[in-house]
Amino acid sequence: MVDFALNEDQEMFQTSTRQYLKSKGGLDIPRRYMDGEAHILQEMWHGLAQQGYLGVNVSERYGGLGQGSLSLVPILEEMGRAIIPGPYPETMAIAVPLLEAYGTEEQKEKYLPEIVDGKRKLTLALLESNGENSPENIQLAANEEDGEYTLHGTKVLVPHGDVADTLIVPVRTGGVHSEYGISLLLVDREDTNIEIQEQQSFEQTRKIAKIKFKETKVAKQQLLGPKNAGWGALQSAMNDLHVALCSTMVGGIDRVVEMANEYGQTRMQFGQPIGRFQAIKHRIVDMRMDLESSRSLTYYAAWALENNAEDMIEAIALARSFTSEAFVRTASENVQIHGGMGFTWEFDCHLFLKRARALENYLGSSDDCLEIAAGELGW
Amino acid sequence: MDFSYSTTEKAFQEELRAWLETNLPSGWLDGERKVPKDEKEKGIFLRDWQRKLYEGKWAGISWPKAYGGREASLIEQVIYEQEMVRVKAPPVLNIIGTAMIGPTLLQIGTEKQKDRYVQKIINGEEIWCQGYSEPNAGSDLAAIQTKAEKKGDRWVINGQKVWTSYAHYADQCFLLARTDNSGKKHNGITAFLVDMNQEGVETKPIRSIDDNPIFNEMFFNDAIAYDEDIVGEINEGWKTSLILLSHERVGVARRTFAIQKQFEELVDLAKTLQKNGRSLIKDPIVRQNLTRFRARSRALLMNYYRHLTNIIRTGRPGPEGSMDKMASSELAKEMYAYAMTISGSGNILWGDDAIVSADWQESYLRSFGFTIEGGTSEIQKNIIAERMLGLPKDVKY
Ligand SMILES: Cc1cc2nc3c(=O)[nH]c(=O)nc-3n(C[C@H](O)[C@H](O)[C@H](O)COP(=O)(O)OP(=O)(O)OC[C@H]3O[C@@H](n4cnc5c(N)ncnc54)[C@H](O)[C@@H]3O)c2cc1C
Repeated sequence: MVDFALNEDQEMFQTSTRQYLKSKGGLDIPRRYMDGEAHILQEMWHGLAQQGYLGVNVSERYGGLGQGSLSLVPILEEMGRAIIPGPYPETMAIAVPLLEAYGTEEQKEKYLPEIVDGKRKLTLALLESNGENSPENIQLAANEEDGEYTLHGTKVLVPHGDVADTLIVPVRTGGVHSEYGISLLLVDREDTNIEIQEQQSFEQTRKIAKIKFKETKVAKQQLLGPKNAGWGALQSAMNDLHVALCSTMVGGIDRVVEMANEYGQTRMQFGQPIGRFQAIKHRIVDMRMDLESSRSLTYYAAWALENNAEDMIEAIALARSFTSEAFVRTASENVQIHGGMGFTWEFDCHLFLKRARALENYLGSSDDCLEIAAGELGW
Repeated sequence: MDFSYSTTEKAFQEELRAWLETNLPSGWLDGERKVPKDEKEKGIFLRDWQRKLYEGKWAGISWPKAYGGREASLIEQVIYEQEMVRVKAPPVLNIIGTAMIGPTLLQIGTEKQKDRYVQKIINGEEIWCQGYSEPNAGSDLAAIQTKAEKKGDRWVINGQKVWTSYAHYADQCFLLARTDNSGKKHNGITAFLVDMNQEGVETKPIRSIDDNPIFNEMFFNDAIAYDEDIVGEINEGWKTSLILLSHERVGVARRTFAIQKQFEELVDLAKTLQKNGRSLIKDPIVRQNLTRFRARSRALLMNYYRHLTNIIRTGRPGPEGSMDKMASSELAKEMYAYAMTISGSGNILWGDDAIVSADWQESYLRSFGFTIEGGTSEIQKNIIAERMLGLPKDVKY
């Protein structure tokens, strides 16, 4: 039976997330966060926990719902619609899959219930100096001695570095430049001395930080996954993250199309709604087409991930490249359709445009994804 | 989400595959695929093919069993299109008849009309064409001027039609004519079933961009029809034509699946072509452009499945068909254009002199029709904007 749509439970997630985020102020959340009200994120995070949204893909043993990637789709879409700040994608789509797949029993017991309860947010501190996502660029040294690691080096462009309680840090425990020798460490803010410097972000709802490790001690038990073979583990979780990002972008596109459409119907010029002019109308249709295609590719990618389908890597790469480009395209068109209003800080258009650009090259560009897909196809 | 076929659906697919194995013209599956160039021979060849389809009960699969169909489900119709694309089966000559006119007559035709026409549509004995467009009524279809006047027991038809596909083969025409000029444009149109083999009907081929005699002008000079040839009500032909259009849905499936196949062919082309001693596909720019096409063709297919799921859940087709139609025709056009681009200077060689298969050049030219026939992309965009997005109506009708 061909059936390509969210199921009833998933549709319910969508409605309830939308209602919840609306009750918390919708787009006021990112706006207030940008204006420095950090507590708003904290409050919302607790609310998300109460609704069960932080346990969706966590095993039932640790208090979660034990569901797959498809169930995250509607929640992430809603978060994307409201430009929600904070490391929801990183926590749910890097930390949870890594812990579930590679965590020791001790680590799982420590972290997963706290994630579910909203007590702990995690992020990934991956990039170094030149900002390139490749194994050669992992140079942060971690020397093991007497049951602990000593870390030396700097990570940059760490998303949500301001609010994350735990960082997943790829470090070099062996080798020099190769994929071999990279390990993942769980670094808890509360018991390490690290220096966090906020980096100015083009997209102020996704704060980024530079993090310096100087003689930072991390206990050996904080090693996540196999020693020296952390890169492979990270790549598998990266698949989850890419799909999660696609869903938030789809949510963003969804809202952008809705905004353009509403404006097209209400803004009057020359005695008519501007949506009657084909120059506007057809642009909105093109935006809607971008939305449909992004959503379809993303649903499929999430399905492929959940089912470990043969074409999973390709499906994810295609979804990511198409959706990133479509989000930038539609968010830009939306500004134009809103005319002068679209150029103001007060109006919401720019929030989406900036989010689109912030995600465009986050851990891989559209061209990178196209190359990955081409590689998968054996070209 | 589920992408698998049920056991009955799989059995259907296998039955069709087995039938195609034995019944496709010889050499067809090995890629010979010879359709005669000569129009007359081609007509005979295609009629034979339709006859074969009919005998195997594969001509009008959604039709009632009583008329030689198999009452196939929507998914089975989709599987059918998929399989036909897979083997690049010869086209169905009477496609307008089997896909649209037959189902319309079965839905709203009189008993007499059903008896008279339906069997002959499905077995290919009578070929149909669709007489809608006129020199001054294309996108603005309701502006048609071809007139039908009641004189005694006859309707006398006068006027000109244009762009009529298959008119040169056709025995019958599904014709829209004006029967009343007094009210709004949309009122006063009537749908007639008109016999093409009569004195008052003349067709003239139009030479097309790809030099393929696909369409024609038609002249009606005191041509005759009767009350019993009216489909639906007098002056309600607009409604009838909307019912007819609603049967075109699965046609979109064909284009959607065809694109998946054309994409594979485009990739093969890029693998075959060489530049500086290297296969073109090794060029990152080419490779990335192809991957972009891949994403779009996948999106098209997934959109189609999503729309299909919606039809199955709600039981009725929505305006999404316009989306699929527009997106698939635009994408096909771009893919052929890209094939031309990467063919380099070889792309100007035509016919027997072509270096890369001339199919590309021909398809490239043919594809310009995709975004015009059956409603232009601009018209589809208006439909999507108005019916899906609720934007204000474009033209004040
Ligand atoms: C290969 C092929 C096969 C065909 N087969 C048949 C057939 O079997 N039977 C039949 O009846 N017809 C057939 N047609 C005709 C087809 O339906 C018409 O060509 C089509 O509807 C467009 O009408 P037109 O050619 O008069 O273009 P026009 O309506 O003159 O359009 C010219 C341009 O103006 C644009 N335009 C027009 N109105 C608007 C608007 N409101 N908003 C924005 N842009 C607009 C169009 O999109 C187009 O780009 C066929 C056409 C082709 C190319």
